[in-house]
Amino acid sequence: MARRAVILAGGQCKWGVREAHLVDLFQEAAKACFEDIPTLKPKDVDGLIVATSYSGRCSFQVNTAPVIAERLGLKPTSICTRCDTLCAGGSTGIILAKGLVEAGVADIVMVAGGEKLYTPQKWEVFYSELASVDHDWDGAQGMGLPPPFFALTAKEHMKYYGTKKEDLAMVSVTNYNYAVDNPVAQMQKALTLEEAMNAPEVVPPLTLYDCCPITDGAAACIITTDEIAKKFTDRPLVYIRGTAQVCLNSVTANFPGEHLADWKHLRIAAEKAYKSAKVAPSDIKVAQTHDCFSISEIIEVEELGFCKKGEGGAFCSSGQIKIGGKVPINTDGGLLACGHPFGATGIRQAIEIMKQLQGRARHQVKDADIGLTHNLSGANAEHTIIIYGREPVK
Amino acid sequence: MAVVGIPILENLYPVTMDMWPLEAKEFNRIWQFYENLKQGRFTTTKCKDCGKVAYPPRVICPECYSENLEYIDLPKRGKVIVFSEEVRGVPLGFEAPLIHAVIDLGVEPVRRLLSRIINCPAGYLKEGDEVQLVVFQIPSHPIEKGKQGTIMAERVFFAFEPVKKP
Repeated sequence: MARRAVILAGGQCKWGVREAHLVDLFQEAAKACFEDIPTLKPKDVDGLIVATSYSGRCSFQVNTAPVIAERLGLKPTSICTRCDTLCAGGSTGIILAKGLVEAGVADIVMVAGGEKLYTPQKWEVFYSELASVDHDWDGAQGMGLPPPFFALTAKEHMKYYGTKKEDLAMVSVTNYNYAVDNPVAQMQKALTLEEAMNAPEVVPPLTLYDCCPITDGAAACIITTDEIAKKFTDRPLVYIRGTAQVCLNSVTANFPGEHLADWKHLRIAAEKAYKSAKVAPSDIKVAQTHDCFSISEIIEVEELGFCKKGEGGAFCSSGQIKIGGKVPINTDGGLLACGHPFGATGIRQAIEIMKQLQGRARHQVKDADIGLTHNLSGANAEHTIIIYGREPVK
Repeated sequence: MAVVGIPILENLYPVTMDMWPLEAKEFNRIWQFYENLKQGRFTTTKCKDCGKVAYPPRVICPECYSENLEYIDLPKRGKVIVFSEEVRGVPLGFEAPLIHAVIDLGVEPVRRLLSRIINCPAGYLKEGDEVQLVVFQIPSHPIEKGKQGTIMAERVFFAFEPVKKP
């Protein structure tokens, strides 16, 4: 019988400004991951994929996988490697792990992602952001830190579709309020619309709560096959039904859409992911979309097919992303409130969807059986989607 | 001057901390782009075999993989489609206001070029404004050349500025 990948367990450390080293954060995350599945022991894990992008710049460490394997007491025999797709690194690790376990190359893979971004002097991480975009072209134009790029994106969405600042603010309010009771989120603040509307300016029209914070943190999950998973757990199995990762450009001059609020590459990714998962947008009961900025979530709900193009602002501000809405989104707080340690984010999203599909989420969506995670990475250079389900693809 | 906490880096050039490209021909096969910039020309590569014009310049054609490329001139004037202004919290290496614009240079593949706008005060720029290329000096860096010793590689970079002076 075909081997079918599932996500078996996951955990994360406390995210925020952490008084800790990168390898400390990975150890805390791995401990939380094994606490989620007490029957599984480190010796059972035969593969490790580490997702981190800034280890080389902020921790002076490349070839990070052996370092993490050793500190976690893992002795991988099938795969031990690192992947770097910045904001999508964790999801990339999960896609790779799915392929490896389904191909029989590996049996039980830990995907662990993390970043230690706060440096002794803060200028260094901000300066290093010049490496997050196409360095010689967009970096040299001062596009390293992302707020200007997403301010341009928001202005074009406002121009073409009439989206208002209130729509942006409602995304922040919704996502912050999901995280008020999330003990591992960076921000646990009840946010009001008034506060969000009157927040300090970053790059107009973006203000403080429109932007996710800089975050130290790590997360880890276990990817294996359904048959192996059954030996370790009685919980409902959560299958990785379909995936897509689309890259059409790097330099912003080659952005594939008609304008910056037209995310053609996400539409292509969505079409492929839905097709491979054999589901439609209307089947998605809960989602984790990449809310690095409030405007991102507004465009994502459009391109993922949850509403019509141009109606993302109204969709989000009318409560369709809340529990009881059409598609509850970022039910643990998303990037805006949980924070965004790049390589760890996709794993945090996967853990929340796993819990939703197993009926044990903090803000539970009733009868959630199909869930989706999405990342954008770089200067909107790549889109990554994973679709999870209680049933395998038939 | 010694680097605080890391005295061994005194007088050393760390390329991993350089915000600008390595433009010298010793380190970059598209050095001609930067040489053209020094002459005030904004250029990119065109494939002589299939005709594809790519931006930024390449050493192979992304369409047919030919190495038979030539540098062609791109327009140096364009119109602002949309722009952003960052006044506070501008990142290290850039001055406030940090203005970015998507510029239409009127020809493919630079119908939506993203560039910094300089020589422009905050609140001055408007959508539809005409902007033009500006080339400016950026810091030189050392290159070790064996027996010849160390040379300094001079560099320029580009941005755009309003045609109508503030």
